Amino acid sequence: MNSFFTPAVAGLSAGGAYAILGVCAIFTYRLVAVVNFTGAAIGATGTFVMVALYEHGVPVLPGALAGILAGALTALVIGLVMTTWFAGANASTKAAVTAALLVGIVAVGLRLTGGQHPHAFPDLVPGSAFRLAGVEVTNAAVLTVLLAVVFTILAELFLARTRTGLQLRALSERPMAAELIGIRVRLLALGVWAVMGGVTSFALMIIAPLRSPDFMSLSLLVVPALAAALIGAFKSFRAALLGGLMIGIVEGLVSGLDAFSQYRSTVPFLVILAVLLWSQRGARWDEAR
Amino acid sequence: MKHASFRAALNTAVSVAVIGALVYALLPNYWVFLITAVFIVGIALQSLGLVAGRTGMISLCQMSFAGVGAWVTGYLNVSGFPGGLPVWIVIGGLAAVPVGIAIGLPALRLRGINLAIVTLGFAAAFDTVLATITFPGQTTFTQVARPMFFESDRGFFIFIVLVYGIIAVGLEFLNRSRLGASWLAVRHSERAAAANGISVPMAKLSAFAISAFIAGISGGLLAGYLGTLVSENFNMMQSLSLFAVATMAGAHFTLGAILGGVLITLFPELLRRLNLPQDVGNVFFALGAVQALSTGETISETWARLGRKLLPGRKASTTATGGALPAAELHPAGTTLEVKGLTVRYGNVVALNDVSLVVPSRTVVGLIGPNGAGKSTMVDAIAGFLPRYSGEVTLNGRSVDALSATRRAQAGIRRTWQTTRIAPELRVGEYVRLAAGNISDGELAAVLDWLECPPPQTLISTVDAGTRRLLDVAGVVAARPPVILLDEPAAGQSYAEALKLGERIAEIPEKFGCAVLLIEHDMDLVRRACSSITVLDFGQVIATGAPQTVLGLPIVQKAYMGIEIEEAAA
Repeated sequence: MNSFFTPAVAGLSAGGAYAILGVCAIFTYRLVAVVNFTGAAIGATGTFVMVALYEHGVPVLPGALAGILAGALTALVIGLVMTTWFAGANASTKAAVTAALLVGIVAVGLRLTGGQHPHAFPDLVPGSAFRLAGVEVTNAAVLTVLLAVVFTILAELFLARTRTGLQLRALSERPMAAELIGIRVRLLALGVWAVMGGVTSFALMIIAPLRSPDFMSLSLLVVPALAAALIGAFKSFRAALLGGLMIGIVEGLVSGLDAFSQYRSTVPFLVILAVLLWSQRGARWDEAR
Repeated sequence: MKHASFRAALNTAVSVAVIGALVYALLPNYWVFLITAVFIVGIALQSLGLVAGRTGMISLCQMSFAGVGAWVTGYLNVSGFPGGLPVWIVIGGLAAVPVGIAIGLPALRLRGINLAIVTLGFAAAFDTVLATITFPGQTTFTQVARPMFFESDRGFFIFIVLVYGIIAVGLEFLNRSRLGASWLAVRHSERAAAANGISVPMAKLSAFAISAFIAGISGGLLAGYLGTLVSENFNMMQSLSLFAVATMAGAHFTLGAILGGVLITLFPELLRRLNLPQDVGNVFFALGAVQALSTGETISETWARLGRKLLPGRKASTTATGGALPAAELHPAGTTLEVKGLTVRYGNVVALNDVSLVVPSRTVVGLIGPNGAGKSTMVDAIAGFLPRYSGEVTLNGRSVDALSATRRAQAGIRRTWQTTRIAPELRVGEYVRLAAGNISDGELAAVLDWLECPPPQTLISTVDAGTRRLLDVAGVVAARPPVILLDEPAAGQSYAEALKLGERIAEIPEKFGCAVLLIEHDMDLVRRACSSITVLDFGQVIATGAPQTVLGLPIVQKAYMGIEIEEAAA
């Protein structure tokens, strides 16, 4: 029993991070209608700003805040690109833009952080929270899962209950109409980008010490993030939360099996395949086609 | 059209040969070696151009397909498989095909973004797998053997140019074939493609399979070029920057693929000579791609446009007109299309309520009614574009309810659209062929003449919207199916044009053998064209019969004018 339980719990913190990233992906998609491939790269930017400050002797807390701010700013810049030139573009073009931007961000990131050069990653939340059936559950795991749950609930409440949330939903579905009835479209969209950037940065800061922490690997966390978002059909925050956690736990389990441990990064891909095959059982001739 | 493909293919072959010969004759070994890579990358770019540029699907794992090809090539090399590199690369390419199909499968019924996610996921997964299993011969430093006569770097250059030429020429033919046109059609509108009897899944899968094949070949060539490979040659960043460059340069054009190859291969060389870090290249590609996406025009399209401005080339020759119209099809007599008790609900809204309708063979039946009466919903239901409806639709007595939109179009229920959905990159002739299947050049010209459409060489993007709708009609009549559903063909036409169109529509049964269900608001056109009329209001049939009788009924006039006749008279 324990041989399964230990690796499953080990995957929990990664799962929490995937969940946050997945919820962020849905957040961006539902509010500004962009499938964002740069999500994790934005978070990686924030994380590495924190690391750079830490390496220069800045204490962890202000460093982390500066990192979150940097992530928000990076996202804001991408948001500016999207709202300035691609406000009226179709979903496919916008996705292509973020995929292209990912290339540029990763190139700059790898250059500035020295590629695979190792960095000192501070443990934002060191130590273990409690023992569960003889397995250490780290503070990082507890925090990411908690954060994921809180963010999911906040996102749901924000969209369903607030006036701004309503305006944002209008914005993503009919940007032109939203603008015509006097919603400050651009400002709201930029706000969404900034929030997304800050949250992703924080999530990646927590799990960065558990990963091979170079800029590229962190940026590629967009794959499990989008897998989680797909589980939520880019609509349901809760499903994405569960999906993200599930992917993390399965990854943990796979790493626990010696024969397959090297292949754990294929888990998100297999999840994506399965979800897409399942979700397209019937042909739909919606307007988008 | 055949000779047009030959000319394009010849153009491509000659330009590739000339470029290859110039490089070979004029440049020193170092540059020849470097430019060999331009062509190898060019092949990878062409494979991406086919999926992304032509079919409009975002693929972010093209270098993974190349990796499959390279791995298989390496394996065949190590195991001493007979035939040498030319055989190995083909097997490598074939090995990539099932992978391509497997990746394409999940995105068949969904638009491009999901494919982007799947392919990115695959690229990430393939990275790990490749890093774990390593290339055959990687640890023993076994070089992949180059083919006989082409062992030297200069010789290998010739081999690569040959392969590039073969693939480029093959793609020219493919792009001008019905399959190639169907890719553009799918990219522009999957619904319209299905309405033309094109199987959308087949179009997408074939694009993906051929693309993976070509990418696999490029991987095999890279193995021969470098001798030994490491997994980094095919990692995700390579795929992503390939995507950025393809987007920027327009990899679905021969010129764009070479240009992209130059950018990927020679730009780092330039940066190296300027003592700049080479990864700046990726930043440049990213910005270039974003720029191309924002203007909607790739570098090769810009150059082609400027080139046309500088060299006002030959006028498009008007091909021999005056051919005979294709002979009318002999469809079975009796009732061609019958709709029984059709009910369609959108949630609580009943769009169509128990509607029945008969279209006898070789007649024109009008379907009229005020806006929102359910006419277009009816066309969608008959043509198979609604997820569910109750009731029965039969064609020549056989139920088509279980058939998909594509199958119904193939069975002979063809439709046109209220807004034109023709891919603007096609030419008039290519579109009509796509819609009609096999007809001769003379018949094609005759059909276009009959509807006063522009000549076959005209690019759709230069044709105005009203004429594009006529082209829609030209396509379906040229196909001569048992029944045609025309959804407001005269919208956007002038009054005189509409009247003329009405006459043409009235002639369709006699000239082409088809029955027609005509939806139209223009009553003069309807009177002229139809032998009977059905009137819908709020999803229900309120009248059926001969045009004059039906149009005179008070209930019909009320539905249209919203007033009682007595009130109007008062």
